[in-house]
Amino acid sequence: MSISLNRRIFMIITLILVAGSLGFLVLSSFTGALVYFHTPTEALAKNQELTGKKIRIGGMVQTGSLAKESGTLKIRFLVTDGKAQIPVRYEGMVPDLFREGQGVVVEGTWRAGEDFLADTILAKHSEDYVPVEMNEQGIAKSKESLLKSLK
Amino acid sequence: MWIEIAHFSTLIALLLAGVLLVAPLAGLRWQQVVWIRVGRQAAFFACGLLTLASAGLILSFLNHDFSVKYVAEHASLKLPIFYLATAMWGGHEGSLLLWAWLLSLFIAIAAWRHWQTHPVSMPWVLSISGGLLLGFLLLVVFLSSPFERLMNPPFDGRDLNPLLQDPGMVFHPPFLYMGYVGFAIPYAFAMAALITAQGDSEWILATRRWTLFSWAMLTIGIVFGAYWAYYELGWGGYWAWDPVENASFMPWLTGLAFLHSVMVQERRRMFRTWNLFLIITTFALSLLGTFLVRSGVLSSVHAFATDPGRGVYILIFMAALLLFSFGLLTSRADLLKETPKLESGLSREFSFLINNLFLVAGACTVLLGTLYPLAVETLSTAKVSVGAPYYNKVFIPIMLGMLLLMGVGPIIPWQRSSWTRLRQEFLPALLLGILGAAVAPLIGITHPSGAIAFGLILFVSSTHLKDVLHNIRIRMQRDSLSAPGALWRLIGRNKRRYGGLFVHLGTLVTVAGFVGSGLFQEERDLFMSVGDSMQIGSWNLTLESIGKTARRNWQADEAVIRAERVGAEPIHLTPQKRVYNEHSQPTTEAAIYSTWREDLYVVLGDGVKEGVWAFRVYRNPLISWVWVGSTLMVIGVFWAMLQGRRAARSQD
Repeated sequence: MSISLNRRIFMIITLILVAGSLGFLVLSSFTGALVYFHTPTEALAKNQELTGKKIRIGGMVQTGSLAKESGTLKIRFLVTDGKAQIPVRYEGMVPDLFREGQGVVVEGTWRAGEDFLADTILAKHSEDYVPVEMNEQGIAKSKESLLKSLK
Repeated sequence: MWIEIAHFSTLIALLLAGVLLVAPLAGLRWQQVVWIRVGRQAAFFACGLLTLASAGLILSFLNHDFSVKYVAEHASLKLPIFYLATAMWGGHEGSLLLWAWLLSLFIAIAAWRHWQTHPVSMPWVLSISGGLLLGFLLLVVFLSSPFERLMNPPFDGRDLNPLLQDPGMVFHPPFLYMGYVGFAIPYAFAMAALITAQGDSEWILATRRWTLFSWAMLTIGIVFGAYWAYYELGWGGYWAWDPVENASFMPWLTGLAFLHSVMVQERRRMFRTWNLFLIITTFALSLLGTFLVRSGVLSSVHAFATDPGRGVYILIFMAALLLFSFGLLTSRADLLKETPKLESGLSREFSFLINNLFLVAGACTVLLGTLYPLAVETLSTAKVSVGAPYYNKVFIPIMLGMLLLMGVGPIIPWQRSSWTRLRQEFLPALLLGILGAAVAPLIGITHPSGAIAFGLILFVSSTHLKDVLHNIRIRMQRDSLSAPGALWRLIGRNKRRYGGLFVHLGTLVTVAGFVGSGLFQEERDLFMSVGDSMQIGSWNLTLESIGKTARRNWQADEAVIRAERVGAEPIHLTPQKRVYNEHSQPTTEAAIYSTWREDLYVVLGDGVKEGVWAFRVYRNPLISWVWVGSTLMVIGVFWAMLQGRRAARSQD
């Protein structure tokens, strides 16, 4: 059976429009959505270029640095990777696993020369399992294995 | 003792999986039916042995046999018996054994049920599923053995992760795995159909119930996971676009696409290649789900183990599977050429095509967001994460588009329609929907996406309702029945269609829950000491006391909060901060009061100074609709499964 040209054009145009807008939707949302992860040393080194960007900083909460402002949910602490440290401020309830001397990942917008104002603290992993982002060995391992398998 | 039995049965099952792979092929090659029978028996015995193996592992848990490494790592003397019995899938190794056991069970059921009806494809189905079972058992036996012993057994075990000591988490993995593994059978039938070049659409008819079952199980598994996240993790939400959640969501999306597009093949013999592509993809994504969760490459709560060996093995396994499947598909392209062409854009098959585009775009979105960070980490030194905003941005339009299609798809005729007819059919519903979206802000749905969703929900319900009423009227006249009698006969006679419409109803309820809880959540952080009050929504919360409480394997700080609302009895909420015996970290136990309208969700934070405690309080509107709606969806799928295949052909 032959199919009329008009109907075929209608179908093709609809398909292209739908597929195109879906593709556009996915890709345009994707480009803005990446949040890069830095250690305190990296973040300080890239001070200028990171300004205004949403980033994650990961390290340890330096022992003795955690200060709570009495009567509020405001806290301040230092995130350190052993070499550099970044002062972080946060307001709100912290996750169960957040404490001094433990690994933490904070997310927020980087402003050069100011304290890092975190809008999220990630530490939702239990003590048995450190966040993979925090575990250099784990990262090196999984990278190795992926590379091996890609070869 | 039990663990040795379990270990040996698994080893013999491994050998039998080899037999299952080879024997049917040998039978085909040398024309010996007896060899095919041997393969079938191997499937039954492998299932029996793996049942024994799983039972052995569970018994080792129940006996507190800490000389078994896996038991020592995932249980303790004080762990309650319910969690002891289910700790089998509390970690990587046992989960994979569960996977393999389910696979052997499904293969045995397929070998039993389809032996008479599908003699031609059966040898290939047996052989292919035997290959899958062999692949998994090799992993279980050599790379991830739950049967390993410890030279010096500890006196007590390390206990199960407290977050997993929850009924939601107990049922989440088995259902998810039933879904994952269930797709293996349609996959094997599809491959067999390609190899034997027989039956055309027969494999789809044969595996209709398998596919429905798997998709339903996947839905249940995902909802249990979401429910667990909501009750246990204490952050007030249920879906965080965590890579592990994503891993189960991808096969769900492509499986859903498959469920719809097979209808087109059944009715119109179209989309044959596409359906093969979808079932291969769905099963491959099920494997990817297992790989992502169980290899430890992801930074996620669920990634229990970090052992690259397993990851590499599963990657090779997957690569082999993809090469085999798609290689076969391309080599058989000539068979699939002759299909009827789409005749019109105004047809059910075309609306299903668009539906499939949306679902596959959704799956690609999730795949991109999940794998891109891994690729970046692998190929450079940078680490990157893709947050929830990306997924929400993409999935809100996709969901709205799907809703629109859902209102059209089941009603629009097959093959071709006309604008005039469509206008008659859909214009009133469409106007109602637009009116609904316009009025929505006045009744409190102030968010634009929420208003559109509201309008679309009205649109879909009215098209569905109109269709059902129309058919009831016809039945009433033809069979002179009362309205409920006619409805009952309608639903009973055509279980597929009405099961499907019921799933749509469940989807609408779920979407209402998404809109309410996603867009209108209220969240408050504050301090209270005993006697303090706070206001959220129409509720007034007062902290009555704070004290200690304890159970067998944990102790906790517990707050007692009285929640009052005008015109209702006051209720008491008791959020806790628990410390489990074997663990130093506290876990929060949110207190939740659930009504059909909203949930009140209270989390106890730290003490900030003497007598003053931090609290986080959420008001989650319509969140219970998500649970109710997904239950309705599953009921609908089961109803559709009840229909046998003969009736399916003769009726619309």
